[in-house]
Amino acid sequence: MIQLLLYVWLAGQSATSDAMQHLLAGLDARKKHQVELEIAEFGKATELDPSMADAFANLGAAYMEKHDYSSAIGPLKRALDLSPDLPVAHQLLGYALLSLGYAAEAIPHLERVGAQDALGIAQIQTGQLDEAVVNFRGALAKRPNDPDLLYYLGRSAGLLSKNAIDTLLAIAPDSARAHQALAENYFVLRQMPQAEREYKEALRLRPDLPGVHLELGQVYANSALWPEAEQEFAAGTKLQPGNAEATYRLGSALLQQGKVREARQELERSDSLKPEMPETLYSLGKAASLAGDTAAAEKAWVRVIELEKETSLAAQAHFGLAGLYRKQGKIAEAQQQMREFQRLQGAIGPPRSE
Amino acid sequence: MARPFKRRDFLRFATLAAAAPIFEVKQLHGIDFILQNSPTPQKYLIETMPGGVALFDYNNDGLLDIFFVNGGKIANTLHVPENFERANPRYWNRLYRQNRDGSFTDVTEAAGLARAGNGNYGMGVAVGDYDNDGYPDLYVTSYGKNVLYHNNGDGTFTDVTAKAGVRGGGWSVSAGFFDYNNDGHLDLFVTRYMDWDADRNKICGGDWHTYCPPAAFPATTCLLYRNRGDGTFEDVSERSGITEKKERALGVAFADYDDDGFTDIFVSNDGMQQYLFHNNGDGTFRECALEAGAALTSDGKGLSGMGAVFQDYDNDGRADVIVTVLPRELYGLYHNDGAGAFSYQSLETGLGALTSGSSGWGVGLEDFDNDGWKDLFVAQSHVLDNVEQIDASLRYKELPLLALNRKGRFERADSGLTTPVAARGAAFGDINNDGWMDVIITTLGGPPVLLLNRGGGGNHWLSITLRGTHSNRDGYGARVNVNGQTRFATSGGSYICANDKRLHFGLGSMEKAAVEILWPSGTKQVLKDVRADQFVEIREPEHS
Repeated sequence: MIQLLLYVWLAGQSATSDAMQHLLAGLDARKKHQVELEIAEFGKATELDPSMADAFANLGAAYMEKHDYSSAIGPLKRALDLSPDLPVAHQLLGYALLSLGYAAEAIPHLERVGAQDALGIAQIQTGQLDEAVVNFRGALAKRPNDPDLLYYLGRSAGLLSKNAIDTLLAIAPDSARAHQALAENYFVLRQMPQAEREYKEALRLRPDLPGVHLELGQVYANSALWPEAEQEFAAGTKLQPGNAEATYRLGSALLQQGKVREARQELERSDSLKPEMPETLYSLGKAASLAGDTAAAEKAWVRVIELEKETSLAAQAHFGLAGLYRKQGKIAEAQQQMREFQRLQGAIGPPRSE
Repeated sequence: MARPFKRRDFLRFATLAAAAPIFEVKQLHGIDFILQNSPTPQKYLIETMPGGVALFDYNNDGLLDIFFVNGGKIANTLHVPENFERANPRYWNRLYRQNRDGSFTDVTEAAGLARAGNGNYGMGVAVGDYDNDGYPDLYVTSYGKNVLYHNNGDGTFTDVTAKAGVRGGGWSVSAGFFDYNNDGHLDLFVTRYMDWDADRNKICGGDWHTYCPPAAFPATTCLLYRNRGDGTFEDVSERSGITEKKERALGVAFADYDDDGFTDIFVSNDGMQQYLFHNNGDGTFRECALEAGAALTSDGKGLSGMGAVFQDYDNDGRADVIVTVLPRELYGLYHNDGAGAFSYQSLETGLGALTSGSSGWGVGLEDFDNDGWKDLFVAQSHVLDNVEQIDASLRYKELPLLALNRKGRFERADSGLTTPVAARGAAFGDINNDGWMDVIITTLGGPPVLLLNRGGGGNHWLSITLRGTHSNRDGYGARVNVNGQTRFATSGGSYICANDKRLHFGLGSMEKAAVEILWPSGTKQVLKDVRADQFVEIREPEHS
């Protein structure tokens, strides 16, 4: 791309001097991927005409091709001294400086040409995380599936989050939010006793803190402490009756304890708060099946399959339907569902244990 | 002068009024057995799997004796061929004879059971009178080779493995005698865990070395030996269809789940689906757990199946299955719905809520309170001896689970054991012949724990010893119904253990019992007005 830009730019130049002859020879060498010859020809052009900005820019570009960023910086800077608006030189100098770790110096050049991706990387290094997130979002709008951009957006947002939490812990270490943040960290590290302790402290300080009951409930659920999980999820739904996730999790905790009727109520409520959630529908089907309401179970699981199609949850729904049909004596239907279950197991692997 | 009634006294009486533990932890006088599993930094998986215990009356004196399977010495770095120093008395299996006063005497050496073979790391035990001579024989499983000990009837045993042709090989775990072809001779089923040896060991885990999950090693097949009736067995594993599927099998239990007159096999597999081998009645089996609904959880997930029991928990006359598993799963309860179909009912029965944080091994369905409903007992402990370092919410040593059966729903009860142990095997029987079922559990690196049933409460009971004539002498495979409760006669089930073969029934307030027996021979036998609170031997009629 750089090469193409140079060709376009050079097309408008006059070629009258010896320096220009070397410049053209250098461009010819580039076409033949002869980098050392490029450097020699562009170098002679700059010697013969020290005011030829394009010769310096091309010499820098040749060093860049060779990944010799240190050598590229001098000619690129000289090119910009001679022609301060040369976009290619700004772009290449920005890349070269960034590659060598001079992020702060690289930023003005990258800003000049609107190279959002490289600019974002430089801003991560200089701690300008808000700006980096904005630039990565902009770059992703143009290249939505670029893995590097997705990574850097995640990284910059993560660092931004970490900075905010570090600040929180520094300025208000005894606050409920600080304890919540610590708890979340422990939860990620699977250090459940510590997570439980911090969540409880957060709740002691601010019993009405939204979301903390839900998170504490998940600590208990993760340890299969279902009565405790139920208690926290119930507290969460009391604080936020419109929270579909908390309601779903309460239903699941009840289901794990065999409290089928109560579980079904909560799952139905979650489904009404946020319809068409496959996980909720699957659990709803399970609760209905346990309650002997096979029609409702069938309806919920069929809907899961329509929504999910080829996922492990769809496989589970097929398995549930197979059992349901087997009980009803619908052998052909049961076998069909079992075949689908086995097909999906083969395709996506067996469902993991609890 | 009477002492004034103080608050302390009230609390004492209040405690007494609360439900007392069913069991009392009892010192086993004369038993000095320590299960030597020899854990090493190499984390050889065999270390965490032994050891079995059998409750059986080897000398027919009416008292239950106890046989323990020992592990062996494991060198820190072990190579093939392994040597587990089984000649060293520390690593012997042990037989303890029960004396009239309830104490035990170590008769291992006198009985000829002292040496288990240096290359054998002991696992489990099965008991059955394979030659119908009236004396129970022992089959000991190992990593290495298995050993069949013939009971000579004079207090001694003879290793007849070579002659009988049942040495197995590889890593055998649980075993059980049963008569799959109803020819009156007990056949033998052996589970094998995986294709493993010391040279192919792996260490798993990150910062903390752990025992590997089963999927780290190749699966293998189980063994089925047909009893020819002349003291020898034929390996019919392949011909019978048993080897058609690879397994990671640990537990095995037997019952005729579909009332076709032939005993079927349930195998608990670790980290995969469970297997149900339907007996086709023609010498072959068909694995049908998936279509029968007894393979996976209700979510279609596999189980870390370890122990298994195949009995009727809800008194509907059909054999149900309970499988013990690791934490984060629920112990699997597969209710027999009839017509060859099962449904997963861990949640409905309350079992799920009791078990999601525990690891279960040995398991039994026995009526501990004699109320007419079979209760559940599970020996518990995590498989990883360093699990606390990996997951602080889990515990290596656990208390056992005692769950009383309230008309088909299980409720936790106090087992009486207050110190967590690394339990593995659990065998069930009436050790002191008082009409109340007791439990013995084995613990890794420790002594066995005897939980003696306190009894009381006024409920009645009946204990039946079957004496087959056309059928195998032990009556294994018989379906016995007493006052509407059904038991399938077997000493197998649990994990690596053999239970008291006597069939125990709690009768509640009933002082008489109606007994119906369907013998493996097909003979039906009915006894009416059998007096409660006694041990009875019922002989199969010579003429049906």
